[in-house]
Amino acid sequence: MPSARVDTAELPRTAMHRARTGPLLTALGAAGVLAFALLTPDEYNQHVLMWVALNAVLAVGLRFVLLVGETNIATGAFYGIGAYIAALCTVNFAVPFPLALLAGAVVATAVSAGFGLVTLRTKGPYFMLISFAFTEVTRLIYTRINYIGGNSGIMGVFPPQSLDPWMPALTVLLCGGLILALYLCERSDLGRVFRAIENNDTIVETVGINVVSIKLLCLVLASFAVGLAGALHAHIYNVISPGDFSYLVPVFALAYVKIGGDSHVLGAVLGAALLTLVAQALEGAGALEQILFGGAIVAAMLLLPDGLWGAGRRLLRLMLRR
Amino acid sequence: MSALLIAQDLSRRFGGLLAVSDLSFEVQAGEVLGLIGPNGAGKSTTFNVISGFYRPTSGRLSFRGEDITGMSASAISRRGLVRTFQHGSLLRDMSVHDNILIGALRTVRDRRQRQRHVRDTAELLGLGGLLDTIAGSLPHGHQRMLSIAIALAARPTLLCLDEPLTGLNSTEIAAALGSMQRIRQEFATTIMLVDHNMRAVMRICDRIVVLNHGQKLAEGTPAEIRNDPEVIRAYLGDDA
Repeated sequence: MPSARVDTAELPRTAMHRARTGPLLTALGAAGVLAFALLTPDEYNQHVLMWVALNAVLAVGLRFVLLVGETNIATGAFYGIGAYIAALCTVNFAVPFPLALLAGAVVATAVSAGFGLVTLRTKGPYFMLISFAFTEVTRLIYTRINYIGGNSGIMGVFPPQSLDPWMPALTVLLCGGLILALYLCERSDLGRVFRAIENNDTIVETVGINVVSIKLLCLVLASFAVGLAGALHAHIYNVISPGDFSYLVPVFALAYVKIGGDSHVLGAVLGAALLTLVAQALEGAGALEQILFGGAIVAAMLLLPDGLWGAGRRLLRLMLRR
Repeated sequence: MSALLIAQDLSRRFGGLLAVSDLSFEVQAGEVLGLIGPNGAGKSTTFNVISGFYRPTSGRLSFRGEDITGMSASAISRRGLVRTFQHGSLLRDMSVHDNILIGALRTVRDRRQRQRHVRDTAELLGLGGLLDTIAGSLPHGHQRMLSIAIALAARPTLLCLDEPLTGLNSTEIAAALGSMQRIRQEFATTIMLVDHNMRAVMRICDRIVVLNHGQKLAEGTPAEIRNDPEVIRAYLGDDA
């Protein structure tokens, strides 16, 4: 029973208790979302849920590279490459659906490896600008290639008809799996090295770890997840065009991360869910939508420096202390 | 004793400034070698060149019989030459434990052994009770020891310490010197160090190399260096 004062001897136990309930609650939440995805008959709800899942992967993928201290705006390019490759596989070559998804993810990963190999020697604002340019250049390239539809893009990207009722659940499951996999990497020794590089890359170099190759590994892992999400995107929206993959994609992902809170992976998921829902609610409001959305981002940045996740944690700690 | 590190006619130029010129010296296995000299003598540049942070403009470096001239810092570190930095750099947002762990990650593969190694290293540098503390919140003296602990956790053959004693009080200096003796004995690690604290350098070093204007001015035992007229002139001026 909660009492006015917490016995100090009880503190370690509550801490342990909480450490164990965290993953349990997350698993329960994920199972709940999955059940909702399977059971909801409403097509609009299904779509919103899938958009949330895709945006969550974008946010988590962007945050993953933030772990080594780099703002990877090329996230948009790898998302687009995943989408275009998967769409081409399905529409032009009738490749089986799982293979089309995999092809999108693999090509996005390969391109990110080449991109990282050249650019990861830079860091901070330089890397951010290069990655921004890369997203915009790939978008312009899509518009110039007639084979992939130029400005109008690719239409009729459908998953197999038999999968139709399962798509929401499949999307949630795949996106959840990707997020979990990236989270497990973050929690491992590799994740410690990521944080160490973000703290002080010179030290990491002096103890014999090649910083550039670890950063490259980080980028490649994130890009696989983002590429796979892009491949799913193509099959969920059924139509893709260059405009879907502009710099706005990673900039919104950055907003999800910052508003949700970048200290925990669930902060990024929370931000993605919340802002996607807000964007849906504002749909049809015209220019007002953009204004309100921008205003929400600025307000959250000013009022919640460590995001909703951080604010929630502080609130919880305050309540426990009372 | 055999030569662990051989520097041969090492030079490093920055534009018009020759920071290190034709410097040759050897570090013998098992010894503590001090590198001293007035400000701007080229001590830090020498450290940066031998640890791979700067490429030498000319000259050769060989470590344990292998030519390491022009290798990257991490490649040189993997061969057993690990350095620390002047300003006691560390991973500020991470715990003392994780700081030392990063040092041990590549060299100690077995998880349980690594845990023990992290704890032993912390103990040796007086950080045993502080494993869960965030590095950035440690007092200055402990931060200094932690930056040595990170390097030591990588199990170096040659540990290069850049001004390890700067800013420490006399108790901390005594403790640091004690730790260095133990590092040398228990880890069989050769130490090369730069510092301005003459009394401490004279006490701990077996041999000393004196730099002035990027060149080697003298080399010898602490007693020889103390009485070298050239050294006295460099430090105190011509009138002394």
